[in-house]
Amino acid sequence: MRIVVGKGSCGFAAGAGRVYSALENLIDDKSVLSITGCIGMCFLEPIVDIYEGEKLLRRLVKVTENDAENIIIAVKNNDFSLVDNLTISEKDEEFLTKQTRIALRHCGIINPESIDDYTNDNGYKALRKVLTSMSPEDVIEEIKISGLAGRGGAGFPTWFKWNAARNSKGDEKYLICNADEGDPGAFMDRAVIESDPHTLIEGMLIGAYAIGAKEAVVYVRAEYPLAIIRLEKAIKDAEEKGFIGKNILGSAFSCSFRIKAGAGAFVCGEETALIESLEGSRGMPRLKPPFPAEAGYWHKPSNINNVETFANVSWIILNGGKKFSAMGTEDSKGTKVFALTGKIRRGGLVEIPMGKTLRDVIFDIGGGIKNDAKFKAVQMGGPSGGCIPEELLDTVIDYKKLSATGAIMGSGGMVVMSDSTCMVNMAKFFLDFTTKESCGKCVHCRIGTKRMLEILTRITEGKGKDGDIELLEELCLGIKDGALCGLGQTAPNPVLTTLKYFKDEYVSHINEKKCLAKECASLLTYSINPEKCVGCSLCSKKCPTQAISGEIKKTFSIDTEKCIKCGQCKAACRFGAVNVD
Amino acid sequence: MDKIKLIIDGKEIIADKGTTILSAAKDNGIEIPTLCHSDRVALYGACGLCTVEAEGIPKLLRACSAKASDGMVIHTDSERVKKSRKIALELLMSDHTGDCVGPCSLNCPAGTDCQGYVKLISQGNFHEAVALIKEKLPLPASIGRVCPHPCENACRRQMVEDSISIAYLKAFAADEDMKENTFVPEVAPDSGKKVAVIGGGPAGLTVSYFLRTKGHSVTIFDAMPYMGGMLRYGIPEYRLPKKIVEAEVQQIANLGVEMKNNVKIGKDISFETLRKEYDAVVVAIGAWSSLSMRCEGENLNGVVGGIDFLREVNEGKRPDIGNRVAIVGGGNTAMDACRTARRLGAEEVYVIYRRTRDEMPAEKIEIDEAEEEGVTFKFLTNPAEFIGEDGKVTSVKLQVMELGEPDSSGRRSPVPVEGKFETLPIDTAIMAIGQKVNTSGFEEIELNKKGIISANERTFRTSLEGVFAIGDATNRGASIAIEAIGEAEKASKVIDAYLFGMDIPYRKPFVSEKEVTPEMLKDKEKASRAEMPVMSAEKRVKTFDEIALGFTKEQAIAEASRCLECGCHDYHDCKLIKYANWYDIKPERFAGMKNIFPKETKLVSIERDQSKCILCGLCVRICDEVAKKGILGLVGRGFTTTIKPEFDNDDVISFCKDCHKCADACPTGALKIIEK
Repeated sequence: MRIVVGKGSCGFAAGAGRVYSALENLIDDKSVLSITGCIGMCFLEPIVDIYEGEKLLRRLVKVTENDAENIIIAVKNNDFSLVDNLTISEKDEEFLTKQTRIALRHCGIINPESIDDYTNDNGYKALRKVLTSMSPEDVIEEIKISGLAGRGGAGFPTWFKWNAARNSKGDEKYLICNADEGDPGAFMDRAVIESDPHTLIEGMLIGAYAIGAKEAVVYVRAEYPLAIIRLEKAIKDAEEKGFIGKNILGSAFSCSFRIKAGAGAFVCGEETALIESLEGSRGMPRLKPPFPAEAGYWHKPSNINNVETFANVSWIILNGGKKFSAMGTEDSKGTKVFALTGKIRRGGLVEIPMGKTLRDVIFDIGGGIKNDAKFKAVQMGGPSGGCIPEELLDTVIDYKKLSATGAIMGSGGMVVMSDSTCMVNMAKFFLDFTTKESCGKCVHCRIGTKRMLEILTRITEGKGKDGDIELLEELCLGIKDGALCGLGQTAPNPVLTTLKYFKDEYVSHINEKKCLAKECASLLTYSINPEKCVGCSLCSKKCPTQAISGEIKKTFSIDTEKCIKCGQCKAACRFGAVNVD
Repeated sequence: MDKIKLIIDGKEIIADKGTTILSAAKDNGIEIPTLCHSDRVALYGACGLCTVEAEGIPKLLRACSAKASDGMVIHTDSERVKKSRKIALELLMSDHTGDCVGPCSLNCPAGTDCQGYVKLISQGNFHEAVALIKEKLPLPASIGRVCPHPCENACRRQMVEDSISIAYLKAFAADEDMKENTFVPEVAPDSGKKVAVIGGGPAGLTVSYFLRTKGHSVTIFDAMPYMGGMLRYGIPEYRLPKKIVEAEVQQIANLGVEMKNNVKIGKDISFETLRKEYDAVVVAIGAWSSLSMRCEGENLNGVVGGIDFLREVNEGKRPDIGNRVAIVGGGNTAMDACRTARRLGAEEVYVIYRRTRDEMPAEKIEIDEAEEEGVTFKFLTNPAEFIGEDGKVTSVKLQVMELGEPDSSGRRSPVPVEGKFETLPIDTAIMAIGQKVNTSGFEEIELNKKGIISANERTFRTSLEGVFAIGDATNRGASIAIEAIGEAEKASKVIDAYLFGMDIPYRKPFVSEKEVTPEMLKDKEKASRAEMPVMSAEKRVKTFDEIALGFTKEQAIAEASRCLECGCHDYHDCKLIKYANWYDIKPERFAGMKNIFPKETKLVSIERDQSKCILCGLCVRICDEVAKKGILGLVGRGFTTTIKPEFDNDDVISFCKDCHKCADACPTGALKIIEK
């Protein structure tokens, strides 16, 4: 039997490190204990899986270090009644069983730090197949058949980019992986690298072979230390096994690999800014054309794909492009990974075939909204994307269909919002992000997003003016038209979509000085309902500004002059006596 | 090289294959605005101004980088393009802090380049100063003496100690210029167009000057025996000698402006005839009638209008006004009248004003000098009735007033103290309470409610085709001379266009302005204002000679050197302001936080004002790619991005070879080369 602890970043955050240490201290035969990456069910971390051979006997969830002893006894006695209370529920199991995993096929199963685990599960077979039986053109053709499109967000056909880079003149070409995942709430790429680094490496090697590159670079943000450590080890192991380096697997194909840790600028996810950063310059986008396929890294033909795109490649080569394109819609093929976060009951990584609906993801897999609250909207594509309201939940997952809503497929971030989310405040949050992440190069993004944020801020503070909505709309369209790169051009999307679907919220902030979702503190008034207040004084003790006073067992009251609208009284009151208007 | 054919703004163009849209357009005389592009450095694409629309391409293209291709149809001036550029410029301007021009120029109704000519005077370049003044104002010797100088009222030097003596400096430069090598403007070749100007006052003379320099044939018709209008007939000799006005009139006549005096329209020649014989007619007849008070006894002999009185004296007459004279009013005309009365020998001269000294609209210096000359001010009084004997005034009954609530002008309004009167025995009363327009002879032109000629404020057109009207005779009525001159200069451009069949209304140029507080100027060294030396009061009342004795050259140069030079050195070359004016921008729509930096002045010979920086990156790129120094770089993100290192950083001094390439490349006034 094997005890496997899910040690992805999400697991670590929930305490998987402590669980692992506790198990390690108690276990005699250390070989029984191993790790895996992100299983995908972040809402249940830390997770400990117990295997018999390849068979998963038990999946234990929300495990703490105190459970270690029971787990070991259970394993020793082959009697799991001791850990029944930790065993995943059938309902929660559906989170995984309803998914179709290609990019994430090894995630949470294999040990990311073991190249043998990978090769035992068909690892590097695709590379061998390519190097022994396929020309670069064959590879590109297979990718073309698969219909694989860029998973970073733009959805550009992968084969087309590969082909352009292949056909560009020059001996020196580069293959680059964009692992600068920066959207708030998105962690698909991190999970792939942390959980299955060899899949990325193999996909990149096949891409390098296809375009004729001799050097591959992974540009990964420095905020992903675990991903970097595991990728470094994977590269080293792959080099030792002859998958990376000179004359790979005895072929004429040679390719070196390196990692560049990005310093954490969102804009470096934009491919030309990424190239600037790779070259050691300030990460600012370049004008396109020329596109990287003509003049990219060091002004040589270069191809840049996102992690998830590469993670699909070896599967496509082994299983055939047709099998991949059999999944999905007319326009969008294969599967897509989403990072499901926000006010969702079951948050984590979801991979489903294109063509499923948003409702499938959010309600069927994600289990709907936490605490049975009402769904309001889902933000797709992070700060570059837009929100999709309830009435469009049956929109199918497809590049074109999602774009038609005003949102985008994006890289896969899905932030779910309930009716307690103020959509103006949400738009403000994303604009705040964009202004901070703007590189400052072009006027529209540097000053335009700042002005949008200023307008949104005054609206949420109750200082919105007549004409602000029109001004926002004008700025949105101006910035979309004028900004230099994708970051700027898409920055207005959260505002445009909230204006499209939730204009009433803007209007009530401006005209009635009211926040319908009761989220914008400046527009709220806290008071105590004398009919419900029992005079317990708890609220007054919680109040950080001593704004609440009263006599025990009599009605308390809030001094609105002193109240900073932090909401602690409301949270503390057990009688629902605090009113917010 | 392969050639391609494309269409830009409807014009078919042949260009080399591989050329950008920007340079293909430029080669064919189509200017696409750009602030960040330079052929000397690599493509950048920051400013977003060069966007153009190409048929069949949904996105706007950046002309600096997009290659022209065969068959392309480009629009550089479509509504979408204009909107995009406008918003880019508005955003840029919303984070651009600086004064394009100083407050002096902005406050001058004629927009004279005060800072420019004061600077030239400080360098001793008096002729150049006059040439610059005359780009806006052809009567500097006259106006410099009499102008109530709104420029000085706005001068920021007041926050240090006192405003620059701009008006007198102007007169000084003009006097110097007239001594020898007098500036003569270039006159364009004859256009074949004829313009009649009715009225030879400041407005009429100015419009004639500018129309003449544009090559038109101009004739001024004036009802009086001499040209100059109110400058000659309204302002007393002791403030503005006739010979000065005559000399400046002569300079205009020398350009070929025909001048016909003693011609009254409607009597000596009909307005209709002028309209027929000339391609355009400009009505600049001024406001030559005194306003009446509608108070009893006003028709008695010895009660006269202020400007009528001044005209009579200016015509050389010496009317018998007796010994006791009361002037009613508190403006400059009242001051001219009371001081003239003293010079005519009246011993007891009173100024009757219904408010107090603080509310008087007259210049302070005029009030002070009148007082020095023995004029008595009777504040808070108002004539209730003129009392006479045998049809001649003998006294005035004054209603005593007090100040009440502020009125629409912001001044506290006078209210009668019920039943409180006093009586002042007088020989003459002069009513200097305002002027009105006499429109007889111009009955065909539409008047406004006040009975003043109605003229469009941007086209200066009247209700009659080909008839323009300017100055005191129009719209709001009488004002100061420089106001009329400003209108005349603007009108000259509109009329010039009209003569060639175009309609180009005047548009107030957009300029950037900044807030300045005394705190910001606290480190300026104090230097007191040069006071104009004047004749003693005892001497003054005995003569009509000019009382101002004039600056010496040294005084003028020292005075001019006090200028703080508020306006931007780059105003005339600044690409940002040039394009801002192409697109009629309104940056206040996007008012918000601004990046404001102190000026950096220590380095070599460049002064940097990052508050004006638009982050086009040209200095950074030129320093790196052309000067091969790479000293400068962008630091920070988004809105807080700046250029570092600071120019007053010692490390910069050790690397910079002071080549000025950065400053030369700067499209705004953020970098200024200074002489060490």
